[in-house]
Amino acid sequence: MDDFGEMALREREARRIARRQWFWLHFAVYATVQVFLVIVWALSDATYPWFIFPLFGWGIPVAAHAVFAFVIRHPDEILIERARRESER
Amino acid sequence: MSWLLRPYTDPALYRAIAYLLLGFPLGIFEYVVVVTGLSFGAGLAITLLGVPVLLATLLLAAALSTFERELAVTMLGAAMPRRIRRRDAPGFGWKRLWVRIRDRRTWSEVAFLLLVRPTLGTAGFIFVATVVALAFGAVAQMILIAVGVPTQFGGWTVDTYADSLVFVPLSALLFLIGPRLVLAWATATGRITTRMLGWLDPADLKRGVVDVLARIGSADAFTLFDEIGLMLGTGPFLTPTKLEATLLALESAGRVAAVHEGTRTRYSLAASAAIR
Repeated sequence: MDDFGEMALREREARRIARRQWFWLHFAVYATVQVFLVIVWALSDATYPWFIFPLFGWGIPVAAHAVFAFVIRHPDEILIERARRESER
Repeated sequence: MSWLLRPYTDPALYRAIAYLLLGFPLGIFEYVVVVTGLSFGAGLAITLLGVPVLLATLLLAAALSTFERELAVTMLGAAMPRRIRRRDAPGFGWKRLWVRIRDRRTWSEVAFLLLVRPTLGTAGFIFVATVVALAFGAVAQMILIAVGVPTQFGGWTVDTYADSLVFVPLSALLFLIGPRLVLAWATATGRITTRMLGWLDPADLKRGVVDVLARIGSADAFTLFDEIGLMLGTGPFLTPTKLEATLLALESAGRVAAVHEGTRTRYSLAASAAIR
């Protein structure tokens, strides 16, 4: 790998770390709000479990964010890594 | 203290406020124009009259997006590619509509005008209006009391100076941190605009690399990165990864030749590409 390739690798790594940090921040806000809502539900009449609506309504975007942060990769990254593997062979 | 008040002397704050306040009417206007055009054109498509209507709407969406790009650059200092070439065809019929439909940029622009701009525009307007109203709320309350106009908050009537002091802590806090919040919001809006409208077509990047290599002969990737940055602008649309992927694609297509020299690689136009 040449110097520019290393710089590009560091850039991708920094982007990956930032993406994951944003996800954990999102998850922390989500979890805090959901715990708060469950406490409100438990302290009120605690009959109809209305807290499940925000739990799933917001949970689906959180799950999508997790997929974006941990699973999905940009086609450029796939192309570069494939080319690198081929050149190493 | 001067650190907290410094944003008030920064013209960027007033540009950001103007941009965010303008976002509400502009966002609604653009949404109405695009929704009306697309639904009218799609509804009439079966009679073929819808084709020029759809095409006119997509052309209008492109013009509105260009305006939005310029607005974001001028008012927020957002990063945008300098040269945006659009795939197009002559005429005003199916062929040109089809080219536009197949262009990814068209859908990115339509999504921005239909989903992002109205939402962000409305949210930004509400945010700025709230911050400004709360920051100057205590002063406004005192002026109202001075002119003898009481204010009602539910069952509580504010009609003495002592009552109006309740608003002072919140107003003081927002007076100090409000400008920074507005600037942060405007920066985030600018970044979202760059993501959606500042998309650089990989074909443009390839063309840029070939143009630079044709001009300077051979160069390593660092020089190419700087030269293309000067040509197309710098921002998230031009990253080392994007350039590396472009160089790899050009190399595998036989248009660029790479020579490894120690820890650097020099690129030049391949002989076959130069003949072409």
